[in-house]
Amino acid sequence: MNPEPFLQLDRVIHEKGRLALMSMLAASPELSFTEMRDALSMTDGNLTTHIRTLQEAGYISVTKSFQNNRPHTTCSLTSAGKKAFSNYINLLEAIIRQNKPK
Amino acid sequence: MAAFPVNSALDTNGFVSQSVGMESNWAAEHLQVIRTLMERSALYRRALAPIMIFVGVLGVAGGVLGWVLNLNSAQAFLGYWAGVGLLALAGSFLLVRRQALKESEPFWSPPTRRVAQALLAPLFVGSVAGLLALACPGWDFLAPWGLPAFWMVLYGCALTAAGFFMHRGIKLLGWLFILCGCALMATRCCANGPLSLADGHRVMGGVFGGLHLAYGIYLYFTEQRRNEP
Repeated sequence: MNPEPFLQLDRVIHEKGRLALMSMLAASPELSFTEMRDALSMTDGNLTTHIRTLQEAGYISVTKSFQNNRPHTTCSLTSAGKKAFSNYINLLEAIIRQNKPK
Repeated sequence: MAAFPVNSALDTNGFVSQSVGMESNWAAEHLQVIRTLMERSALYRRALAPIMIFVGVLGVAGGVLGWVLNLNSAQAFLGYWAGVGLLALAGSFLLVRRQALKESEPFWSPPTRRVAQALLAPLFVGSVAGLLALACPGWDFLAPWGLPAFWMVLYGCALTAAGFFMHRGIKLLGWLFILCGCALMATRCCANGPLSLADGHRVMGGVFGGLHLAYGIYLYFTEQRRNEP
């Protein structure tokens, strides 16, 4: 049994809150802060922390603007984020493949 | 136990190998959660109850008014229902826009775009058929009394297509429209002569108005009220 795929799992993405964010952003070109908060039932603080961690890793880009005089924050995956997420999925699939009874 | 003797079970590789074995199911569950989240992210999430109730009330009122006003010529029937359809479209647009403004979100979001694209083709065909029947009195491809059934089937197809990007039984509503349209076509097998356009008003009001209204009331009591202040 090869432990490699398990060891290679990206620790930034692996945390469940961040993985949820990455999964949602992978399916949508961009999502607003409120959409992500409501869909994942996170608090503002919790979501902000996860967004900051992913942004520092270079996986998501954050755009801040104003809509009707209210701040509007949107996030989207960067190309590095898309690649990291794709690698993460591939590793999960590799783990499953390894343990499939032959 | 032979695979993981005590000595080697404590070394890093052995421990990780054991973890990998245990985590196989976890990995599968993880992938399932990721898939669910990706699907959820792509779904259209605006509250549908107000839109359905608005379209339903408009449809029922339109059916009653058309019947009472005796709009029984083909041109009056088609023009009248084209107007009701445009009013329903404009009202729905304003309701969706209001919800987007309330939540400080863009109106033309990717899920809205996907739903609009799914609705577009069948609604386009239905509109073209209505316009041709309205503009060319001699057009015999579809009789005016045949259009309600045609519209129901196309509208049902539009809803089932949009249902791939929406929550809560939109596909089922689409199928109900398709079945109603097919049933209306089937009634022509045993009917004598053309359908009266007064009946056409009742059918349009009952099916388009009634089904939207019933679904809107159901959603009103069950939909999560996330758009309320």
